Amino acid sequence: MPLLEVIDLSVSFDTPGGELQAVRDVSFSLDAGEILAIVGESGCGKSVLCKAVTRLLPDTARIKSGSVVIDGLSLSSMPERKVQKLRGQLFSMVFQDPMSALNPSLSIGAQIAEAVRVHAPCMKRSEVRERVLELLSLVGIDRAADMYKLYPHNLSGGQRQRVVTAVALASGPRLLFADEPTTALDAGLQTQILDLLRDIRQRLGTSTVLISHDLGAVARAADRGAVMYAGKIVETGTTEEIFYDPRHPYTWSLLLSLPSRAERGRKLHSISGTPPTLIDPPSGDAFAPRNPWALEIDYEQSPPMFRVTDTHFAATWLLDPRAPKITPPIGGNDRG
Amino acid sequence: MAEILLDVRGLTHRYAMTSSRSVTALDGVSFQIRHGEIFGLVGQSGSGKSTAARCIMNLLRPTGGDLHYKGVDLLDPKQRRENRRMLQTTRQLIFQDSASSLNPRMTLADIITEPMVINSVKPPRGSMRAEAEFQAAKVGLSPSCLDRRPPELSGGQRQRAAIARALCMEPELLIADEPVASLDVSVQAQILNLFRHFQTEHGFSLLFIAHDLSAVHWLCDRVGVLFHGLLVESAPTTELFENPLHPCTRALLSSVPLPDPRRERQRRLERFDTDTLPAAETLREVSPEHFVLKED
Amino acid sequence: MRHNALLLTKKLIIFLAGLLALSMAVFCVSRMAPGDALISYYGERAEKMSPDERSAAEARLGLDRPLHVQYVRWLSGAARGDFGISFMYKTDVLSLIRSRLGNTLILGGSGFALIFFLAPLLGILCTRLEGRWPDRLICRLGAVSGCIPEFWLSLLLIALFSVTLRLLPGSGAYCVGKSGELADRLEHLVLPLTVVVLSHLWYYTYLVRSRLLGEVRQDYVLLAKSKGLTPRRILFRHCLRNIMPSYLSLMAISIPHILGGTYIVESVFSYPGLGTLSYESARYKDYNLLMLLCVLSGASVMLCSSLAQAVSRRIDPRMRDGTPVSGEARNDG
Repeated sequence: MPLLEVIDLSVSFDTPGGELQAVRDVSFSLDAGEILAIVGESGCGKSVLCKAVTRLLPDTARIKSGSVVIDGLSLSSMPERKVQKLRGQLFSMVFQDPMSALNPSLSIGAQIAEAVRVHAPCMKRSEVRERVLELLSLVGIDRAADMYKLYPHNLSGGQRQRVVTAVALASGPRLLFADEPTTALDAGLQTQILDLLRDIRQRLGTSTVLISHDLGAVARAADRGAVMYAGKIVETGTTEEIFYDPRHPYTWSLLLSLPSRAERGRKLHSISGTPPTLIDPPSGDAFAPRNPWALEIDYEQSPPMFRVTDTHFAATWLLDPRAPKITPPIGGNDRG
Repeated sequence: MAEILLDVRGLTHRYAMTSSRSVTALDGVSFQIRHGEIFGLVGQSGSGKSTAARCIMNLLRPTGGDLHYKGVDLLDPKQRRENRRMLQTTRQLIFQDSASSLNPRMTLADIITEPMVINSVKPPRGSMRAEAEFQAAKVGLSPSCLDRRPPELSGGQRQRAAIARALCMEPELLIADEPVASLDVSVQAQILNLFRHFQTEHGFSLLFIAHDLSAVHWLCDRVGVLFHGLLVESAPTTELFENPLHPCTRALLSSVPLPDPRRERQRRLERFDTDTLPAAETLREVSPEHFVLKED
Repeated sequence: MRHNALLLTKKLIIFLAGLLALSMAVFCVSRMAPGDALISYYGERAEKMSPDERSAAEARLGLDRPLHVQYVRWLSGAARGDFGISFMYKTDVLSLIRSRLGNTLILGGSGFALIFFLAPLLGILCTRLEGRWPDRLICRLGAVSGCIPEFWLSLLLIALFSVTLRLLPGSGAYCVGKSGELADRLEHLVLPLTVVVLSHLWYYTYLVRSRLLGEVRQDYVLLAKSKGLTPRRILFRHCLRNIMPSYLSLMAISIPHILGGTYIVESVFSYPGLGTLSYESARYKDYNLLMLLCVLSGASVMLCSSLAQAVSRRIDPRMRDGTPVSGEARNDG
């Protein structure tokens, strides 16, 4: 049984302009010890999806349908009080901006200790301290004892993100949600934090849902990837399948537009137009108007998830047996 | 070789924290930008890239060094006053965060043509509106955006408006401070294409400040690497990426993420310790146009 | 240590210079203002004096000298602790003020204490129930009560509770002959205190509310939530703690503000405090009294703002270290 299972989740925001469908019928699952990356551009709903799964949505949002099951517990039908008890213990979060995610007026030791004590209120002071020091060295902070008394502003960005990770790991959660954990950091630090996530998985067996817009981060850290566009998952597969044998035109476009893949001096591939507004989204494939490979049916009917392999699925009519054969711009030949 | 447009020599800037302490953001940085060239300035955050941009735009007064733009001494108030109009029209700056650098209460049309209004330039295409439409079309903004205000637009649209605003004065030097850092990859590609297009079509020079080395590799002709306010290496792009000499450059290059799982997982970060940086160093030319900071 | 002593000396010099400038300004303005100072000393009699009598009286009070001489005289007296006599009360101004200070401190101090504790309570209540009816009610009522001028509210309350309903006394601090009785004092305190609290409370409540609502939307609240903390604990341990430095320093600055508010209330309720005294001294040009009152108020404003700075420096770790926020400049590798 998978550790996390999300089935047909839909989330809407009530805005003055109407109902904004941020997440539309998203399903995915995650096995124990696995790192899944959800990748997409800003506004595609990946962050809302993460908050909906962890029940941290603001009041203006509501979960319209669907269910979230973590470790056999149905989170979506649970009262908030019970969810609160599970936070930190069963699942936990790492956020984008490590500066604002830490309380500026509490020492980092106190903030981690607080997270330790929430789920172990009877722990002795000295034990809590021991545990905090253990956590600090787990996330790769040297001289943990000296760091205990420091405040967030004394640390560099990378160290702060490590502290946030330590807070998230304090009660030994089985599942970690990392919402853009590297976006606010320099490239070198990004790599370090991503390696830390893999390292933690290696040592503690923690599963991770990594939310990112950065394909480089996905390539480094994830076992599987899910590409999101306009509130839907359009392609999912192992990291190798996503990068070496992508099937959805949106995934192609994303990979093609990376300057690191392009030849110097050659024009970069860019996606024309803008993402659709999710207030009253189009009935067909939301990507169709920007898709140079779009078929007529894309404008009328939303494609189902077609199976490519047992792990690889993509929502595009190009995979329908009746569709015309086209040569994909990336991959195909160097699979594996 | 094309003539030098911007000449930066020994640029130094210290931010005073208190009366007795200061932080050195730039320490004797020298580089030149030629006509029609795209020069990339890379480095970690906090390495002084933005400070350099601000000094060049005369938004900050450097504590030391020389700045010459088209033969005008940018640090001499008298020369600056005499050439005020030329400096204001031919140098333009694009900020990273177009959400806060564009006035949220102005329409895009007004934002784009504001530099012309300020410098009382007669719009070459008849009216300001026509001018705004022309510039918007050039950067790929639909005319329907022109009556909207920045908060109603996406990040990519705002950044294009910022570029259109900079371009309407037909600048010779565009300084772009992390112009694509906050944008999605697909939009980033559009903006990078746009810069390249303007360089080849209109021959303007660009100082492209970024921390994303893959974009720099794709776009720039020459690159300078900043580290803690020092220019440690500068070279033509291919030369720098194929033959990095300074350990700091190598560390920076090893941090570039690759969109390729197998190669990416084999990539090892090269560590670079600040303390190993020798105190006294000078910039030496090791091969044509390839300068490295070396011990004396 | 030496650094601290130097800093303290610097502060002291600034403080004294501020007082000197203030006293000079008050001195000049009060003398230039229209009116007859002799009235305060001689009362009705001053109006019937002949020119000769007038100049003799002025000479007696030292008002015939040039302005700067008068000021230097006052200053040298003040330096020795002699602030002159009150023209009106014919006693030493210092002892006069001392006798009234207690009453003002009772009214202003209890008003300040009530506001100090009620504002965070109401602010927290509003934050917890943001957008629901108690929050909206408090906001509306607060906005209304904050807009009513103090003197008008005072008159309204007097008309209602002491004239019409005859429940509470409408003037004075105590009934004649009962100055020692606590119950009587409290009875007299109710109405002026209500005015003081009502007219200021809203401002501070609103401030706490908006700061708290700002904090609640911060990312660290999400992290605290994801630790599994209860909303109440997040509000008290994290959010409230973070607004405390600014709240405390604001309250320290507002001590003179709230005390100043009592001045108006005092004069409407004829409450024998410093407020009534300063009103009279300004109105009847009781120079020495006016000078001392102004200098004292100025000193309290300056002291309170130093207090505010000290408080926020102690509480906020970012200010305590004296180090600027380091940012990303450091190499993490």
